[in-house]
Amino acid sequence: MKLHFTTTHLDHRIALLAALAITIHIIESAFPSPLPGIKPGLANVVTLFTFIKYGWQTALQVSLLRVIISSLILGTFLSPTFLLSLSGALLSLLSLMLIQLPFYATSLRPYQPSAIGYALVASVTHMSGQFLVAWYFFIPHPGLFKLLPIFITFAVILGIVSGIITQLLINQINSGSTTTAVTQDRQ
Amino acid sequence: MFTIGKVLFKFTDIVILLAACMLTIQLYSIFWLDNNQPGEADTLLVQFADNSPTEYSLSEAQTIRVEGKIGSSLIEIKQGKARFIHSSCRNQFCVFHGWLSVAGDSTACLPNRISISLKAASSDYDAIAGSQ
Repeated sequence: MKLHFTTTHLDHRIALLAALAITIHIIESAFPSPLPGIKPGLANVVTLFTFIKYGWQTALQVSLLRVIISSLILGTFLSPTFLLSLSGALLSLLSLMLIQLPFYATSLRPYQPSAIGYALVASVTHMSGQFLVAWYFFIPHPGLFKLLPIFITFAVILGIVSGIITQLLINQINSGSTTTAVTQDRQ
Repeated sequence: MFTIGKVLFKFTDIVILLAACMLTIQLYSIFWLDNNQPGEADTLLVQFADNSPTEYSLSEAQTIRVEGKIGSSLIEIKQGKARFIHSSCRNQFCVFHGWLSVAGDSTACLPNRISISLKAASSDYDAIAGSQ
């Protein structure tokens, strides 16, 4: 029996973006981190870009593929690292959706945040999600909360950085077309 | 709405940025500021071996002689503080520890098997790890 798949353009796009995110994730995991739990999170630039450019459905698939496949490659599948990664990714995507929700209304659409705003939300909630899971499941000690302000500080700084990168990426992609990043975000 | 370099900032971004900064400051003040200062110590607990501790009030200045395993120890209470002033042990760690002034502070003479600690009427701490 011969299996035959028909793939759509959307599938190709998701595969391409996920491959990009996985590559960045794996390269990033090779770098040492100044503090356990703090990573630049460059793989999230891809998720963010996908979210802004193609919407949350695509971003969710890219994000899940990235988390699962890169953990399979790194050998951390179903380990604590994987759970932290998954919870962070899901919570940040969920909050991105919630933040975007009011801006579906046509009257509010011009006020939709740009990449910086989304990146900040994503990065802070990603960090908080990971932190809460780490605290609840792995280190249920109140002393862990002393680290939370440091983590959130780094999340804000790195969120701004990844927002700038995302915005530059969007500018690059959009250059040549007349529409701006802001009006093109929902297709 | 303005741009810095090629990066677009919108009103909503500024709001989110401010919210994130305020959240960070808030977290620092919740988790880092020492909101519960150790309570004012008012009682000295003196314990020999496994016996239950004897309580002394810190309000009256006095010198307490406690018989330990290898000899006697002298403990001085003065101005709400307490210290070992003499011990028959060899290393004199307990004497060199100096004054105990905060609730939860404690020191001990291991050879003589005597330990003292300060207790507050309402202490938030079970114990404080020393940094000396």
